[in-house]
Amino acid sequence: MTSRALSTDVLLGLLPIALLIALWQGLVSFELAPVALLPPPGLVFSRLLQQLVTFSFQQEIIATLFRLFTGFLIAVALGVGVGMVAAASPAINATVRPLVRVLAPLPKVALYPALLLLLGFGHESKIALVAADALFPILLSTYYGASTVEQKLIWSAMAAGTPRREILLKVVLPAAMPSILTGCRIGLVISCIVVFLAEMITSTDGLGHVLITAARTFQAVDMFVPLITISLLGLILNALLQAARSYLLRGFPEA
Amino acid sequence: MTSSAAIGRRVAPLLACIGLLAAWQVAALALKNDSFPTALEAMRAVPAILGDKEALINILASLRRMAIGFAAAVAVSIPLGLLMGRSRTVAAFFNPLLMVIYPVPKAALMPIIMLWLGVGDIAKTLVIFLGVSLPVIYHSFEGAKAVEEKMLWSGAAMGLSAAQCLVRIVLPAALPEILTGCRTGLVLALITMITSEMIARQSGAGNILFNALDMGQYDTVFAMIIIVGAMGIGLDAAFEKVRARLVRWSEPQFDMPLSFS
Repeated sequence: MTSRALSTDVLLGLLPIALLIALWQGLVSFELAPVALLPPPGLVFSRLLQQLVTFSFQQEIIATLFRLFTGFLIAVALGVGVGMVAAASPAINATVRPLVRVLAPLPKVALYPALLLLLGFGHESKIALVAADALFPILLSTYYGASTVEQKLIWSAMAAGTPRREILLKVVLPAAMPSILTGCRIGLVISCIVVFLAEMITSTDGLGHVLITAARTFQAVDMFVPLITISLLGLILNALLQAARSYLLRGFPEA
Repeated sequence: MTSSAAIGRRVAPLLACIGLLAAWQVAALALKNDSFPTALEAMRAVPAILGDKEALINILASLRRMAIGFAAAVAVSIPLGLLMGRSRTVAAFFNPLLMVIYPVPKAALMPIIMLWLGVGDIAKTLVIFLGVSLPVIYHSFEGAKAVEEKMLWSGAAMGLSAAQCLVRIVLPAALPEILTGCRTGLVLALITMITSEMIARQSGAGNILFNALDMGQYDTVFAMIIIVGAMGIGLDAAFEKVRARLVRWSEPQFDMPLSFS
């Protein structure tokens, strides 16, 4: 793709976002929606900028990010580990497969009350929920990636005398990397969503809690701020993961 | 495949369910925690909920909202996704917007939507609609993008218009991928349904669950978890049946959807 076509695409992509904001502004300007219910975009964004530099709001973001990352990392470790092992060993596969089949379509949010009762109202229950929700896409894409590794690669490694465990780490893992990273990307978006929801349900800090506090006091402006913040966080994290992906997958035919 | 393997495949999830319930039972007996009933106690509370008329009406109302939201989302998202997959301009137009919306928890829009539309059915159905749309759009987009160019050329050579091509060639070719998206969307609809009711706290399955939590009726909490979990597993299994029938010609890539976003 030429750079010119790329910049046209970018402009075209910005258009609906601009239109949406224009519509939003229009609704307020023509007084079709009362300001109390739909604050003008200018007010919301200036409020966002104003909030972003305050210490208390930064604390909320840090609390959210901490839970998000811890949960996500647990999900990555478990998902990649179990996925790889399940792809390598038929016996473990036979155990893991039905379990995943039952647990994956289970709405994890419904487990949250149980997690609350077991782990308490602190960080642990929220981290557990994030990990439980992000786990399955990562596990499944790891398993899928690892079980579709070209057999010839494994045979070559075996012929060269590589021990089994090293084949898993040095051949299968790198070969499954594109699929694993796709799963991580999905898991990351889910983590963003879930951490926010968990904080909305029970929390004393974090972005979700900011939204709920605003909702209870009918501060429409303050309700938009955490939502835009989580959207921005999602975009930034996604970009970071994309950068990690192009670094990890250098040398792959199409990264 | 031998028939014993087929039976094994059918029985294995059941065994997994039993195993999980057994693990729960053991854990509950070991912990001896008042707020953590055993699996048997929780299951004993299930008929009480399902027998209660009001609770049943609540749960059915939840399911109705979910069905409407899901159907509307599928009806809108599949054409949009297919168009995005076939036209680079349409894709460039919508992609950034979707990327911005993706990490926003749809159920978190509930408080704002409630301000505008009230706490009624419309607000909750709208939230479910939003939650289901994104994965369906995404998978339809991916499916339509992967349609083989040659088939479209053949269609065009035989005189199909662009719209006919989309319906007669792209839609069937992308169907396996679209159905994967729908399956993800179905689970998501259930999740969004529970969360939206949890936040609006007026009626529905999510409301029963969290009211019981607030009032310390732990049996009911865990019984509701069993009910909701069974709904998720049941809906997923039913959808899988439909999917297998619709796209019998396409060997499933993998028997579980990858994205539960």
